[in-house]
Amino acid sequence: MDIPAFVRLLRDGNSAGALKKIQEQNYLPGICGRLCSAPCEVVSGISEEEPPAGIRALERFASDSGRPKFEWKRPAVRAGKKIAVVGSGPAGLTAAAGLAAKGYGVSVLEAFDQPGGVLRYGIPSFRLPAAVLQEEVGTVRSAGVEFRANCYVGKTVGLDELQREGFEAVLLATGAGVPRFQDLPGANLGGVYYAEEFLLRVNFAGRGHRLSLKTQDANFPLGFPLGNKVVVLGSEYMALDCARIAVRLGKHVSWVSPEAPEDKRVLREESGYAREEGVQIEALARPLEVQGNERQFVRAVRCLRLDYADTRATGQWELTPVPDSEFVLDADSVIIAMGHAPNSLVARGIEGLKVNDDGTIWIAPHNGMTSLKGVFACGDVVTKAGPVVEAMASGKKAAEHIDNYFKSKI
Amino acid sequence: MDYKIVNKQIFADRFKRLDIHCPQVARKAKAGQFVKICPAEGEVSIPLTVFETDPQRGIISLIVHETDPAAQRLGLMPINEPVYSVLGPLGVPTPVERKGVVVCIATGVGIGRILPVARALKQLGNKVIGIIGARTKRELLLEAQMRIACHKIFAATDDGSHEHRGLATDVFRRLLGEQGQQGQPPLRGVYAAGSVEMMETVCELTRPLEIETYVVLDTAMVDCLGLCGACRVVVAGRTVQACVDGPTFDGHKVDFNDLKIRVNAFKEKDRWGNQQLASSPKGNESGILTKFLAGYPKS
Repeated sequence: MDIPAFVRLLRDGNSAGALKKIQEQNYLPGICGRLCSAPCEVVSGISEEEPPAGIRALERFASDSGRPKFEWKRPAVRAGKKIAVVGSGPAGLTAAAGLAAKGYGVSVLEAFDQPGGVLRYGIPSFRLPAAVLQEEVGTVRSAGVEFRANCYVGKTVGLDELQREGFEAVLLATGAGVPRFQDLPGANLGGVYYAEEFLLRVNFAGRGHRLSLKTQDANFPLGFPLGNKVVVLGSEYMALDCARIAVRLGKHVSWVSPEAPEDKRVLREESGYAREEGVQIEALARPLEVQGNERQFVRAVRCLRLDYADTRATGQWELTPVPDSEFVLDADSVIIAMGHAPNSLVARGIEGLKVNDDGTIWIAPHNGMTSLKGVFACGDVVTKAGPVVEAMASGKKAAEHIDNYFKSKI
Repeated sequence: MDYKIVNKQIFADRFKRLDIHCPQVARKAKAGQFVKICPAEGEVSIPLTVFETDPQRGIISLIVHETDPAAQRLGLMPINEPVYSVLGPLGVPTPVERKGVVVCIATGVGIGRILPVARALKQLGNKVIGIIGARTKRELLLEAQMRIACHKIFAATDDGSHEHRGLATDVFRRLLGEQGQQGQPPLRGVYAAGSVEMMETVCELTRPLEIETYVVLDTAMVDCLGLCGACRVVVAGRTVQACVDGPTFDGHKVDFNDLKIRVNAFKEKDRWGNQQLASSPKGNESGILTKFLAGYPKS
């Protein structure tokens, strides 16, 4: 992306021009400006003393203030090829926008009732407001992309039916939203939720509800049992999101993380927010067991402290358990956010699709195609769980691969 | 896509049958599969088993048991009103094949889950023995349909208002007792759906006799697509999800103790005040309609 150019345009007060400049390369600037893990800001700092330019914040500003009041709908000039994109998460949306910009007719098939995928159902509204997502989806739609909700590929429609409908290529962008089941003793007790379930339930129940820190919404229509003491296990963005939601629901939250805040995978800035909001952080600790009461509900979580130690004298400091450091946290509910697996469930409905041992879909490195001709895959279902920006980049690349595929056919 | 309610029937106090126009599901749904249905935008989705399909007219039939707010909302919808979303058919179809004599045992709403299985088994040429149970005669759903779908049928009600007084498993135990006798063809398979206790008892009875037993589970689900893990059950030592790996499992491999914990996990009412649950103000007792239709004296 031409960062100096868009920053220059912003400096001149031309936010609409800046947004145009961003949209040449990035189809979803509003989402990227909020959720990006900003790897560029680590690199771009010229010297140690000088703080990096807030590229992410600038992008967000441009997308918020640079949008035209009325979108002029471009007349659709289509190359006569139809492409089906399965899944409307970050990868699917980016790929759909990229393909539509190249002049293909694109249909996005989504199993949920509304497009957005993880952006709608996995990420809480205080990190990505529903209105911003709606706007971005609207932009993609106005570029000529058709959205089909309630359509589960492999169950509602098969791949053969899609081909009969005239789709010449299919792009699988189903993401990585499957919970990875843990061997933690007591993980099936009542009151233990996997983060995916917790986020889905809150996002379903709370449509139209603002999760606000001030009100600590007591009237939130929570449709499931959630106790007053919540323990969140995990070290990634998802754990952070769950903890921050639970605080907003007026719960007392402890966050048990096996990594220290300094080298945590989440941005330091974001975990700082969590601390400010009142999440009690138990860093460098590992859960050993979830303990239940006589009614098989969660009562407590037994944990073990970890610390860096050079036990093998190799000069590499590794996380090792501290002896006799077990402690017990009282809990009424536990949320497990310890990673997720690629969603290759779609492969069960498609014969002949090659799936790797780790659950990702196999693609050829040079042309992005799966083991079936004309079927492509992109996003987290290929790369395993990664940040949203990486999924977007993968989607963009897949759009190019599909374009090349059609060009080589002629 | 417009998912319109084309017909509705009230079975008992909180049991209703809904016929919904949904051609893409009606074309494909097989025995044991279910749909995820959301009554209105912003409501929670619930999984409901498809117990009958009409592919020509594009209609699926569902049984709604009004236990949670979304089901209550769905049960209150009038004919001709469109449902917000229907997704399906989900889940793996129940494995059916030609075996000989098979038993289909179901209680409560489980009858809706077992009916398509019984039909499919009969169509394949099996001799199907049906055992259905409920609390009262009125709550014995789909009895007429079951009579047609099975070669022989037994009914059991808790209050004795119809046929056998007692549990469906009592009838099943008696049936198994007759197994060794002369002239009785051997039992080749059992399909069970209903309460966890009933399915557990059935599996315990068939385990020593090594009769193939399938159970159709009914666990809490949130998204029904395998993305949440709410419906996790332990089968053969592995944690699997009932929505994508099931809902039909080999009964002898299911860990019923774990299943009980999972099913009870969402029934906790008294511990936390934060959930507005289910029950009508009357609580769990039968409503006026049931009392009236069951011929109870008016109080």
